[in-house]
Amino acid sequence: MNTKYEPIIVAFCCHYCAYSAADLAGSMRMEYSPNVRIVKLMCTGKLDTLHLLKAFEDGADAALVAG
Amino acid sequence: MIVAERKLFEQIWESVKDLKSLLVLGCGTCVSVCQSGGEKEVGLLASELRMKSRLAGKEIKIGEATIERQCDREFFDSIKDKVNEYDAILSMACGAGVQFSAEVLEPVRVIPALNTRFIGVTVEEGIWAERCRACGNCVLRDYGGICPITICAKSLVNGPCGGSKNGKCEASQEKDCAWVLIYNRLKKQNRLDDLRRDAPIKDYTTQTHPGRYVNEAYRKPELEAQHAE
Repeated sequence: MNTKYEPIIVAFCCHYCAYSAADLAGSMRMEYSPNVRIVKLMCTGKLDTLHLLKAFEDGADAALVAG
Repeated sequence: MIVAERKLFEQIWESVKDLKSLLVLGCGTCVSVCQSGGEKEVGLLASELRMKSRLAGKEIKIGEATIERQCDREFFDSIKDKVNEYDAILSMACGAGVQFSAEVLEPVRVIPALNTRFIGVTVEEGIWAERCRACGNCVLRDYGGICPITICAKSLVNGPCGGSKNGKCEASQEKDCAWVLIYNRLKKQNRLDDLRRDAPIKDYTTQTHPGRYVNEAYRKPELEAQHAE
């Protein structure tokens, strides 16, 4: 059996930089891997351990914090 | 405040792994301030337990709640109906809160998630230190507001002992000698002469257990009868 491991990644992105970059990438019709799920935060300073744990609890393999 | 620290996760897991359902119950007062058993810590522990139970192939229903205090009867009203949905309560309160939860919510089983450490203060973010041993006979007036019963490893009232060196205690180089602290404080207060007297032997009869305090001005016998039922 040849199954490729596709991790689910939850990306916590800052509204003012990383999320804007992802938004711009979208408007430029650029593609990114669908196993990345973006959660917009007004600032990554808002990110709490609880958010990360909740992501893992709900099946995420990794969390990406971009801000 | 009462300072407590969370038990090791593995210890907590061992004590709850055979349950079918569990309510993680936080306390919104002392243990919230010392970041060991408040609403946030309830969320963290519940999340860890949910992941652990899933990884262990178990289906434990884990709920979360935090009440203002687990050492006051009235705050339990908001969860009294909810607790019946669970096999047990995992209390994140101090030892007093755990016992009072078990008393108020009887016959629901209450399991402790914390180890209660001491009555203390916040030294800085993330660090707490003991300041009071609740001896029931406060002597702080005589020692410049520094408690020799708590801070001195030997609880001496006529210190220091021979183990005081460079302001540190022989019990641990990390510990300040209480008597050096007391001396320096009294010096700043121009009260060094206070140390010339011999302090009487400390009366420890006030430390008999269990302690009980009654304020007659507020006592309501009719309520006591109701609670005794």
